[in-house]
Amino acid sequence: MEEILRMEHITKQFGSVYANRDINLEVRRGEVHTLLGENGAGKSTLMNVLFGLYQPTAGQIYLNGKPVKITSPAEAVKLGIGMVHQHFMLVEAMTVFENIILGDKRTKGVFIDRDARRKEITELADRYGLEVELDKPITEIAVGAQQRVEILKALYRGAELLVLDEPTAALTDLEVEGLFEIIEKLKKENKSVIFISHKMREVLKISDRITVLRAGQTVCTVERSETDGAKLANLMMGRELAPSHYEKIEQPGEPVMTLDHVSYHKASKHSGLNDISLSIGRGEIVGIAGVDGNGQSQLAQIVTGVLTPDEGEADLKGSKVAKFTPNGFIVENVAHIPEDRNKMGLIGNMSVQDNIVLKSTEEPRFSDGHGAHLKKKAIHEYALSMQEKYDIRCESVEQETRNLSGGNQQKVILARELEGNPDLLVAVHPTRGLDIGATRFVHDSMIDARGKGCGVLLISADFDEVLEISDRIIVMFEGQIMGVYPGKNPPIEEISLAMAGK
Amino acid sequence: MKLKKTLMSVLVPLASVILAFVIGAIIIAALGGSPVQAVAYLFQGAFGTPNNFASTLVKATPLIFTGLCACFAYRCGVFNLGGEGQFIMGSIATCWVATTWGIEGPGAMVLCLLCGIIAGGIWGAIPGILKITRGLNEMIVSIMLNYVATLFMGLLYTSVLRDGNVPQTAAVPDATQLQRIVPSLRVTWGIVIALAVAAVVQYFLFSTSKGFQLRAVGLNMTASRFNGFSVKKYILFSFVVSGAIAGLGGSVELLGTQYRLISGYAVGYGFDGVAMALIAQLNPVATVIVAYFFAVLRTGANTMQAGTGVPTSVIDIIQALVIVLAVAGFALVKLPQIRQWLAGRGGKKTAEKKEEK
Repeated sequence: MEEILRMEHITKQFGSVYANRDINLEVRRGEVHTLLGENGAGKSTLMNVLFGLYQPTAGQIYLNGKPVKITSPAEAVKLGIGMVHQHFMLVEAMTVFENIILGDKRTKGVFIDRDARRKEITELADRYGLEVELDKPITEIAVGAQQRVEILKALYRGAELLVLDEPTAALTDLEVEGLFEIIEKLKKENKSVIFISHKMREVLKISDRITVLRAGQTVCTVERSETDGAKLANLMMGRELAPSHYEKIEQPGEPVMTLDHVSYHKASKHSGLNDISLSIGRGEIVGIAGVDGNGQSQLAQIVTGVLTPDEGEADLKGSKVAKFTPNGFIVENVAHIPEDRNKMGLIGNMSVQDNIVLKSTEEPRFSDGHGAHLKKKAIHEYALSMQEKYDIRCESVEQETRNLSGGNQQKVILARELEGNPDLLVAVHPTRGLDIGATRFVHDSMIDARGKGCGVLLISADFDEVLEISDRIIVMFEGQIMGVYPGKNPPIEEISLAMAGK
Repeated sequence: MKLKKTLMSVLVPLASVILAFVIGAIIIAALGGSPVQAVAYLFQGAFGTPNNFASTLVKATPLIFTGLCACFAYRCGVFNLGGEGQFIMGSIATCWVATTWGIEGPGAMVLCLLCGIIAGGIWGAIPGILKITRGLNEMIVSIMLNYVATLFMGLLYTSVLRDGNVPQTAAVPDATQLQRIVPSLRVTWGIVIALAVAAVVQYFLFSTSKGFQLRAVGLNMTASRFNGFSVKKYILFSFVVSGAIAGLGGSVELLGTQYRLISGYAVGYGFDGVAMALIAQLNPVATVIVAYFFAVLRTGANTMQAGTGVPTSVIDIIQALVIVLAVAGFALVKLPQIRQWLAGRGGKKTAEKKEEK
């Protein structure tokens, strides 16, 4: 098969961070080529480079064998690249027809030859089986139909290579079937598709070839026929069997948190929970393994009181949780290292010291009269001692946290969350984006908390991390628990399979 | 870093004022006047004599209240553009109590002030409640409520509370009015109330735990929710307090300066307050200073017109320029390139981080 796209040695650097490092990708005509990788593996960055949204720091793109420089999305469209973003780029108040001809360069003069355009679009839609109701406004059609509009729009603009960024994320099973039929038709018409996903089942079903990315680098490109789910999961996670640094606990203490048949938005496989029962004991670390977006975020938010489950019960320190509010859980000494430290964990425009005492300003050590008068000197001194203890590297504790590096931001959160000797610690991706030193520090801190009798729920997309510090490993897939495994000598193969939904 | 930041937040408004005056001087010269003379008259009019100085303080008083009103809500991350309506509702409540309840004296005055606070608070609560329960945009609701308040006031002074043939209400009885600090000068205890409110707001925001949490909500609502603060309660609270501050302002204005409701009462105070709060970078003390500066321009403008023939509209232009330049200036120093240029080593890192996003 003839090659349509070749990306050679693509590197994209943001400051000192490499989002893409020396990536090679080759796509042939009439094939479905999957980019597989964890969140943050560099898939989106690579596609944004291809679509002209980013300029690569180094590397060269070839289209149909010729070197090209793609400076803007308009340029990419002109070269025959179509992109369907995860979040659709449609004008909601306009009709399907208007959205498709929007920005159309074919119309010369002032007026749009609607009949001719409509004929072209109808023909195109028939050819690829893209059923759309041209005169309905976008707001009135389903998500699957909106996606068909996006695909049709790209084809109408002459796309030969179609990039589908996580196209199944918002679709129902039936709609996914429909989408796959469309992709098959595109293949027959000799169009190429780059399919971006981290859902194993779909990837195995639709791909011809698969390129696995990990931590911004190409791991390898494999033929579909020569691989299977477990192999791909291993490639994606980059498992290396290094023995854990930490001793594993086999007999946890009494349970701190117990979930009993908890469900949340059951129908949603990637952002819901389906009948979850688990318990976290004192002095143990329970690791949740699984590909990102299988309900982990929702689990974390339920055990910290941010979300209220639709069904089921939760027991916190032996008493039933009546009302789910973050404050109710904080009062019960539940600490939370949230998944997005900038959005959920820190007030970026506030200083390091303010963030450290964020939850405790009403305590007598930091204020008189339940917060009526803040003891600024005491707060400052406490922050200095925390800076020392948690090795927070900043110019001063009055520096705004948004100016700190990711690792130091995380240490600010640790100083806040761990200092109160929590009974339950919920840590979500606690080391995402951190360097080795900072990661080690975070792990040591969690082990320390465990030693003090804290129950820890670790949720991480980094399989190595889960293996490294968990005493018990629970695998989640599509909102369900697939299995529970010991943290000591874990059965890696079995866990990999469970993560792929088998 | 911190010092530099504080320095910039003083330098930018100062530079805007100077630049605005330079442009104003060019306009005055173009009109055939003498800029130096005009400015001399302007400042003489504002604080040349004790009486002029007092007039400036009188003019500053309502501006301080509406400025603090805007400042307080913005600190919680919500936009209260309804300061004017809340100010008017406070005035209406005060006028109603003072002129129709048949009570007089200092006790009545305190009651009037309280009613002003309550009326303003209720008027401020409406956009707050609609925002937290129905998700309505607080800016639109609060602006619309300004019109409702203004027209409601019109209804009152032309019919229900009309006094005699002229479309205006009766005056507040002498004994109920806010008294002058010094009998020979126009300035009343109103300015003292305004400064006290500013001090309380400053203290609340920066020295209490609730104020700290309110600011946290204003800066990052999601993180505040995750850290256990009740975001909705703070939003409603900030609207009620913000409205109450404006309502108290209306009450003070009526009891100390205007004495009666009349066509054109309080026009523009609300948006002036918003502009002042922004120039002051949402700092209550700075808001007082900016409000005083605006009052200086306004009082001085009349003397300038009388002395040199330069129209007072030139001062309106200068005032508008100060707002535009200050807002533009603050946006400018936030640009990564400018930050890099301003700061040396320390600033570079932040600039790079900005670009990553």
